[in-house]
Amino acid sequence: MTDTATRALPVAAPAGTRRRLRGGGPRPGTIAAFLTPFFLPFVLFYLVPVGYALWQSFLVVRRTGGQYGTSYTTFGGFEQYEQVFQNGEFWSSIGRIGLFGIVQVPVMLFVALIIALLLDTPLLKLKAFFRITAFMPYAVPGVIAAIMWSYLYSPQLSPVVDLLQDIGLHPDFLGPGAVLWSAANVSTWLWTGYNMLIMFSALQSIPQELYEAARIDGASNWAIAWRIKVPIIAPSIVLTTVFSIIGTLQLYAEPAVLRQISSNISSTFTPNMLAYAVASGNNYQQAAAISVVIAVITFVLSFGFMRLTSKKAGL
Amino acid sequence: MSSTVTRTRLAAVAAAASIVVVAGCSSPGTTDKAAKGSCEPAKGKVVLQYWNTVPGMDKVVALWNKKNPDIQVQTKNISTDQYGLIGNALKAGKAPDLAQVGYDELPSLRTQNAFVDASGCKEATEAKSKFVPWTWSQASFGDTGVFAMPQDTGPMALFVRSDIFKQHGIAIPKTWDEYQAAAQKLHKADPNLDITFFDPNNAEWFNGLLWQNKADMYSYSGDKWHVTVDSAQSKQVAEYWQKMISDKLVRTDLANGSTQMYAAFEKNQIASYVGAAWGYSMFRDNLPKQAGKWSIVPMPTWGSNGSSGDWGGSTVAFMKGGKHLYESVKFNTWLTSDPEALAMENKLGGLYPAANDGLKLPALSEGVPYYNNEKIFDVFADSSKKIDTNFAWGPTQKTVNLSLQDAMAKAAAGSGTLSDALAAAQASALKSMKDQAIPATAGK
Repeated sequence: MTDTATRALPVAAPAGTRRRLRGGGPRPGTIAAFLTPFFLPFVLFYLVPVGYALWQSFLVVRRTGGQYGTSYTTFGGFEQYEQVFQNGEFWSSIGRIGLFGIVQVPVMLFVALIIALLLDTPLLKLKAFFRITAFMPYAVPGVIAAIMWSYLYSPQLSPVVDLLQDIGLHPDFLGPGAVLWSAANVSTWLWTGYNMLIMFSALQSIPQELYEAARIDGASNWAIAWRIKVPIIAPSIVLTTVFSIIGTLQLYAEPAVLRQISSNISSTFTPNMLAYAVASGNNYQQAAAISVVIAVITFVLSFGFMRLTSKKAGL
Repeated sequence: MSSTVTRTRLAAVAAAASIVVVAGCSSPGTTDKAAKGSCEPAKGKVVLQYWNTVPGMDKVVALWNKKNPDIQVQTKNISTDQYGLIGNALKAGKAPDLAQVGYDELPSLRTQNAFVDASGCKEATEAKSKFVPWTWSQASFGDTGVFAMPQDTGPMALFVRSDIFKQHGIAIPKTWDEYQAAAQKLHKADPNLDITFFDPNNAEWFNGLLWQNKADMYSYSGDKWHVTVDSAQSKQVAEYWQKMISDKLVRTDLANGSTQMYAAFEKNQIASYVGAAWGYSMFRDNLPKQAGKWSIVPMPTWGSNGSSGDWGGSTVAFMKGGKHLYESVKFNTWLTSDPEALAMENKLGGLYPAANDGLKLPALSEGVPYYNNEKIFDVFADSSKKIDTNFAWGPTQKTVNLSLQDAMAKAAAGSGTLSDALAAAQASALKSMKDQAIPATAGK
């Protein structure tokens, strides 16, 4: 571990020495002391497990002896990956989550942007109150949020469903068609405030002179919002989009909790749920391969999106 | 779901996987026969580790420890993640001497070389006569060794709202045909009333129904597993419930044990429940207002075949790596068959014993106030004796259960049928066994 930490030093050292020519630069020991608290956990709890999963994904199980013979693992090349690519459940979970993302991410980010812009207008009173209220759902752990919502969705217990039934509507929030959107709603509720805060902080850093100049040029509040604020905070919007794409591909808690009360969420509903189900059946090698494929798809999509938008957003 | 970090990062997934699989590569060569442990008594005092999920087990063990100063037992409650913790410990070579394992997980764990064969101990082989036959058959894998002692069972029976049946002038059904007829009558009399619900996310329950119909899902001969999950007997059960679902005679939106299920019971929307022995306290504790309204009668039968089914229950298994097999057998036998121990386990943990003597416990011979002082345990004891002893679980049961559930949910949602679900489970059994390099073939 220390090995990796020290190996990282040459990269950091020149930057440091260049900046502090006169002081002669900090000693390597000092740099190591500052970097270790980051690198040690990073290596132990990130690189090692990822490397381990990668290694596992290239193994296959073999067995000697009869009915309950002894198993061992051996190198199997891309055998696990072949299975992932042939696994219909995997691709339908990716498709499901793709649909989820295409709808949920824009809706959530649009709502977050609107709230951020509203909080940034000089017209709004009680700003701190609204800011905290909008952010509050994020402070609720995802599982708890999903449990709360599952009560609101459940036809046996929900006051919302009761009310809707009183006015002649019979919604089935947990039905085969609706349950994906019920999960999307929980995610949106949870994460809008978080994304709003990132955009809001970006808005806060815009110099006031820009607005003054715009007003002198006759821009309305509306024009200031859409022509000045939004383009300037575009990098933040890109960032929240990338976070959201990653989050969507790794969706687990919300559907896993809703699964307790709806059989319309299968054990393979999202890619992560599939990986979990496969691992719980002792097929760790296959689960590792699924995880690696999810990771690759996540990298491609998030970096692809960043590349696509980087010029426009000025990143 | 225990691991429920919102939007788990890949690292977390990988970390979880890596914690579980600590020793991926083990060298081949050791055959299963070598697993028979030696049964030498230890010299001096020994300390045994016993992992379980039963509430109040510490008190039972304290009683043993008081009586047996030389064989001290330490318990650990692993109910947070029973098989995860057992699996991790096995891979790390730190398994306890004894661990609680459900009947349906025994073959899977044995496939992972989790057990030691205690048949070298006379006391272990002699214990056979102490237990209800099917439990011993599963714990000994058809008398090929002694890998676990049966602890508790879930013989099935029918929980009925006798008041509702009486109100509509319908006799309590004795066969599944009568049950279906009663379902139609109840539903006709009151469209908001269903005879029961079908929980598609409960393969364990459905397996109990298959078991009742002697649907042998797995057998072994010629160095191969024979997979018959979609046998004619299984299909009979599947088609029966498919008709119940298609004719809208059963609800499919309730999960067993959920708040929603109790709410439906509370609203008098469900007239009966196909349950297991351990369910008696669920009703008593969660539906106090319905005291005196529930009765427990034998499970409806398939025609004249009087067989019953089992849903749940556990064994206490001899884990590989335990160093004190002799002492483990002594404690395990006491734990699973001594009337005093069983009485405590029943009282504190709600366990319904697998031991014959346990079925005669005073607490299990009395009338139960919640059920109109009926002697409900007589029904369960009778059910326990009528459970098919040939039934065996598969070595990838958990995976098969998940596939079955996913496909049953589709059937409940109107796409596909329960027979399709059996076919999916059969395919999943064969595939998951292939993935684990377990030799298997379809059909007998």
